[in-house]
Amino acid sequence: MNSYETPLVLFTVFSQLSVGMVAVNAVRSFVGPESQPQKIRSEWLVVGAALLAGMIASVFHLGHPAGMARTLAHLGSAWLSREALSTGVFLGLVVVGIVLMRDKTNRGLIVLTALVGLLALFCMGMTYSPPSFPAINNVLPFVFFIVTAALLGSSVGLSFAPASKKPLVSSIFTISLIVGLVVYLIVPCIWLSGGEVMRQTGQSWIASPLYWARIIVGLALPLAVIWTTKKSPGWLWVLVLAGELMGRAVFFASTVHTATNIGGIY
Amino acid sequence: MAKQLAFFVDSDKCMGCFTCAMACKNQYHQEKGVIWRRVYPLAEEIYPHRERAFYSLACNHCENPTCLNVCPVKAYYKRDQDGIVVHEQEKCIGCGNCIRSCPYGAPQYNPVLKKAEKCSFCWQRIDAGLSPACVQSCPVDAIQMVDLDQFDATGLVHYAPGFPKFPALNPSVRFRLPKLPVVVRREGI
Repeated sequence: MNSYETPLVLFTVFSQLSVGMVAVNAVRSFVGPESQPQKIRSEWLVVGAALLAGMIASVFHLGHPAGMARTLAHLGSAWLSREALSTGVFLGLVVVGIVLMRDKTNRGLIVLTALVGLLALFCMGMTYSPPSFPAINNVLPFVFFIVTAALLGSSVGLSFAPASKKPLVSSIFTISLIVGLVVYLIVPCIWLSGGEVMRQTGQSWIASPLYWARIIVGLALPLAVIWTTKKSPGWLWVLVLAGELMGRAVFFASTVHTATNIGGIY
Repeated sequence: MAKQLAFFVDSDKCMGCFTCAMACKNQYHQEKGVIWRRVYPLAEEIYPHRERAFYSLACNHCENPTCLNVCPVKAYYKRDQDGIVVHEQEKCIGCGNCIRSCPYGAPQYNPVLKKAEKCSFCWQRIDAGLSPACVQSCPVDAIQMVDLDQFDATGLVHYAPGFPKFPALNPSVRFRLPKLPVVVRREGI
């Protein structure tokens, strides 16, 4: 019944990458001024490019992309409308950041952008937790998305952090890897003791080679590199991004829908 | 309670002939693979007998429809006069959110129009004083259209075994469960 939903995989992962980068940037802004003004603009350009790439990808999951603007019509109850609005506002603030912050940061703007980005993340979490998927009809999509934002934001952000702040960003990255590993190993096991459709979801995730590839490539391997070298090399974000893309594909393709079991025991 | 039309599925009468599903297909000529009404066989754990039992299901026209709540372009509305949930396909942009969100799998993706669609309860036929195609076609009267406000639901079940329970949505469908066949054995043979 499900598919990999490639446009949504790209949209959620890349938009969460940009939210994560801004959030890590906001944390950095509280521990002193940035000592590398030449990197400020390039960092925000990467944030904007990732977000734009995600938003362009999201258009391809619509049967009629020309109707995209109308997705704001149901803000009263549809989380998808709220997601579209909050992500649009986030993009607007990122553009303002790119324009205004050339060689000097603006902490107020960074924090505001990060808060709006987190709001967009919350709306995404609500959009992808419908009643039809009992395993994720809860806070889990939001938790998964926060983990993605923290992992990608810190691993990509490492390249833009000044030397004095690299230990801080590296700590965020390491903690995110540990939290991600624990979450993604434990959650499917908990599903195994749930109702029938939830149990089937747990089995489906555990049986998916992509799930294990994501655990190894995106979480265990980077953690092993940090553990053995006692450093966070700048290239680790490639592994993390590959892991997140595989993990999101599992999220969309292997989560079981209630309707697949009608006529059976629930 | 506002008037709410509903499907009454008499699983004790249903013999799984698929006439209801075929009548729906004949009426609307959906694209290949798009099915508004399905006939689900009950699993052996629920109906443990050699004979099979079935639920004929389509959109349940819920009191609080998920499809309507999640649609970003307001392509769904619920009719005040009878509670039928209508999908306005001309408004649909094919985002698939209703298809992902409905726990009963009612909205389907039309790959030709690139839009969602679902059982309309044949509201045009109802407005013309006719029964829905599936109801009219059933040879054993196993699927009926009822008004929940007037309907005597004694002995009927809202959430039958094998049918997902979502009280927050309050699906309007009602079931009569299939009776298990009586096995008669002659002693001493």
